[in-house]
This record gives sequence, structure tokens and C-alpha cells, in this order.
Amino acid sequence: MPEELIDKIGPMTSKVMRTPRSLDIEITARCNLRCRYCYFFNNPAVEYWDLPTDEWLTFFDELGALGVMGVTLAGGEPFIREDLTTLLEGLVHNRMRFSLLSNGTLIDDGMAAFIARTGRCTCVQVSVDGSCAAVHDTCRGHGAFDGAVRGIRTLSRYRVNVAVRVTIHRHNVDDLENIAHFLLEELGLPGFGTNSAGYLGTCRLNADDVMLTIAERQLAMATLLRLAEKYPDRISASAGPLAEGRAWRRMEDARAQGALAFANRGRLTACGCPSNKIAVRADGAIVPCNMLAHVELGRINHDSLAEVWQNSSALNQLRNRHAIPLTGFDFCAGCSYIPYCTGSCPGLAYAITGQVDHPSPDACLRRFLENGGTIP
Amino acid sequence: MNQTDRPIANPNVVLREEFDDWAVLFNPDTADAIGTNPVGVAVWKRLDGTRSLADIVSEIKNSYEDTPDAAPQEIAAFVNTLAEKGFVGLELESK
Repeated sequence: MPEELIDKIGPMTSKVMRTPRSLDIEITARCNLRCRYCYFFNNPAVEYWDLPTDEWLTFFDELGALGVMGVTLAGGEPFIREDLTTLLEGLVHNRMRFSLLSNGTLIDDGMAAFIARTGRCTCVQVSVDGSCAAVHDTCRGHGAFDGAVRGIRTLSRYRVNVAVRVTIHRHNVDDLENIAHFLLEELGLPGFGTNSAGYLGTCRLNADDVMLTIAERQLAMATLLRLAEKYPDRISASAGPLAEGRAWRRMEDARAQGALAFANRGRLTACGCPSNKIAVRADGAIVPCNMLAHVELGRINHDSLAEVWQNSSALNQLRNRHAIPLTGFDFCAGCSYIPYCTGSCPGLAYAITGQVDHPSPDACLRRFLENGGTIP
Repeated sequence: MNQTDRPIANPNVVLREEFDDWAVLFNPDTADAIGTNPVGVAVWKRLDGTRSLADIVSEIKNSYEDTPDAAPQEIAAFVNTLAEKGFVGLELESK
């Protein structure tokens, strides 16, 4: 191997790239479902309308010229767009890979075959929140479960890589064992990811009905940690009860042992996204992240994405968030977990506190314990 | 139709040149990525199907001062690695 000419590709999270490596694009503001914990709808900062096909294709040409490697198309429900195949062709033409985030219900044979033929699909993520319709449809609406499972089976038939995401809420927290069995053993999927209903968008309107209580969160953590042992490397999480259960165990162990601070902790370091990716809303507004949809950095086809990426003061402020120490927040005063804490997601921090540069109260271990929670 | 000795870059491969003298070659068909340095980028930009490997080595030697003695072998190994991963093919003879 010519080591002189080849470097290993690392996680590339600390340095800002010349252009974004990938984008999250809300390709539509339309959806055929109205899920009770959807983060997307009912965000007062967002205008819900779709750009025409040619606007997206022009933008995809810009992405190709910038060397963007991959795009995730979400929404809304991306498969609701009648021009989706044209849009995907635009991505392929510009040498990108793509993923789609979907409720699965609108995926038919023709679309699955098309996606397979592109050879560029990293995965289609389908949301499954229950082991049966009675659970899944509670928050997603009648027929959503059958549609999701039909979509997964259709994609699998065409050998399109399927990723399943389970969003945990009050109505499925008792079904997690069955969900794991259904997805891993009945459907035979290699794995699935988990998160939980977060205090964003429509979920804010239904928070008491859908968001986990302390006791339910503890139950979800314990169940998922047990299931993750039962199914090694098949249940993943970057947020939600499983991720918290794992992180909080490490934090508690470290605190109990008086361990040295974890690397890059004790400051607002949770979010590395602005160093390698950026997002676009359905109306064409460029934003740092779909969770920070109110922070408009520019507009596609009006502003140069490279210019926004390199010089936006709002984006650079977000990138510099990692320098802000947790010790400076009244919220964190006296907390013994500070040396092990990242402050968590800025999107949730903003939704709850109205401040981006603030730790997220939702992910606070001390608050969880003070409210009666225990770490499984 | 026979292959020539002139390597040619896979046109689907994306070159991302970054600020701090490194670059990424990304093959969207396989999702493989290779990181490389400025010399690797210079080699990549010469994989146009008109130059032989010897031509490329010669141009690189003329473009950079103090080129190490092992440069021809390293460049050949680099191009071989690219070829193994489908980033590079050999130009075909024209009729």
C-alpha cells in the first residue's frame, strides 16, 4: 500500500471541510400521515411549501460541482413527490449517493425497482414504531403499519438496503421486546435504530400524551439495554433511551470513581454536524440542521452554498459552540457530571430553552435523577 | 479492442480537495473513499487516458522538487490501488 499517497479516512468531525460532505434535504413539506410526534410539522419557523423540480435539479448541479458525496432526502414524506425519480436521477447524474427517510407506505414495486437500478442508494429508512398495527397506528394513523411493512418487504424484494427506525413513545414503550422480535426475527432485518419522541414540532402539541415520563424512560432504557445484549450489534441509537442508557452508565461510573474528564466533554460538544454537513428545508432555506430549522443561512439557487458554508457567521457560531464551558450555565451549577457531559443536542436545547447555546435539559442526567429516575 | 498502458480515471469518481492539503477520492457507485495528499491529487488529475504511467511519473518529477527515488514505485502502487478499487481503468485502443 502506498502510504505516502493514501491517508486513512477518519471521522473528520473536528475540521471544517471546504464544502459540506453531505446534506440533509427536506425534499417536500407534504406527507400522507400526521404522526402525533412528528418533529417536522407545526414548527412556527418553517414555511410549508415545495420547490418545483427544476429548482432542486439546479441545486443538485451545484452540489455535484462542490463534490458533495451524499444526500439524505426526508420531509414530509419523500415518496409523495411525483417527480421523485427525476430528482434521484439528478443526484445520480451529479455523482452522489442518497438515502431516503420514509414512513414506507407509498413505496411500490416500480419505485423500489428504480431505486435498486440507480446503484446509489445507501438505504431507505422506514419508521416502524410497533410490532403490530394496534401499537404502530396509535400515533401514526390507521393503515400506517401495514403500509410500512409492505414498503419494507417491497424494498427487500429488490435488494434495496432497508434501515428501520423505532421512535419510542408512551404508547409503544411496553412493546419494545415484541418490536425487536418482529423486526429482527420475523422480518429478518439485520438491525434497527432507536430514538424517542422529542420536544419538537407536532410533538410539542402532544407532549403529555406521547413523550416518555421519567418512569417510562427508565423502562425503555432498561429494556433496550437488555435487548441490545440479547441481539449484539443489531440495535443502535445515537439519541433516545438506548443512547442515554449507555452514556449515562459511563458517566455515573466515571463520577463514582472520580475519573478524569472524558475527552471533549465539559463543554457544548455534542453536535459535530456543522463541520461536515448542512441541511435544506422544503422551501429552499439553507439551515444548519433540520433540528435548527429557524436558523436561516441563505436560500438555494440564490446564495452560493460554498459561500454560506465557509462564511456564514451563524454557522461559524454554531461550530464554535464547542468552546462554551458547561460551568458557565446556571443550569449546570454544582453538577458533578460536567466533566463527562456534552450538553447534548442544540436543536432540543433551543426547543426547550429558546437558546441554541445552552445544554439540553431533556438530556440532563442530573435532572433525570432528581426527578426520580435511576440508571439501569 | 485492446487495453493501452494509459490509465484513465473513472468519471463517476468525485475528487474533494480540502483546505489543508489533503483530498478525498470518492466512488459513489461503491461508497469507497480514499484520502490522498497533493501529489496523489496531481497524479489523479493526470489520469486522463492520454498519458502512460511513465509520462505521469515524469511530469510529477518535473513538477515537484526533491522527488524521492521511490516516487515511480509509489505512484505505480497508488494507481494500482485505485485500479483495484475501480477508481481507475485503462484506456482502450482506438480503432
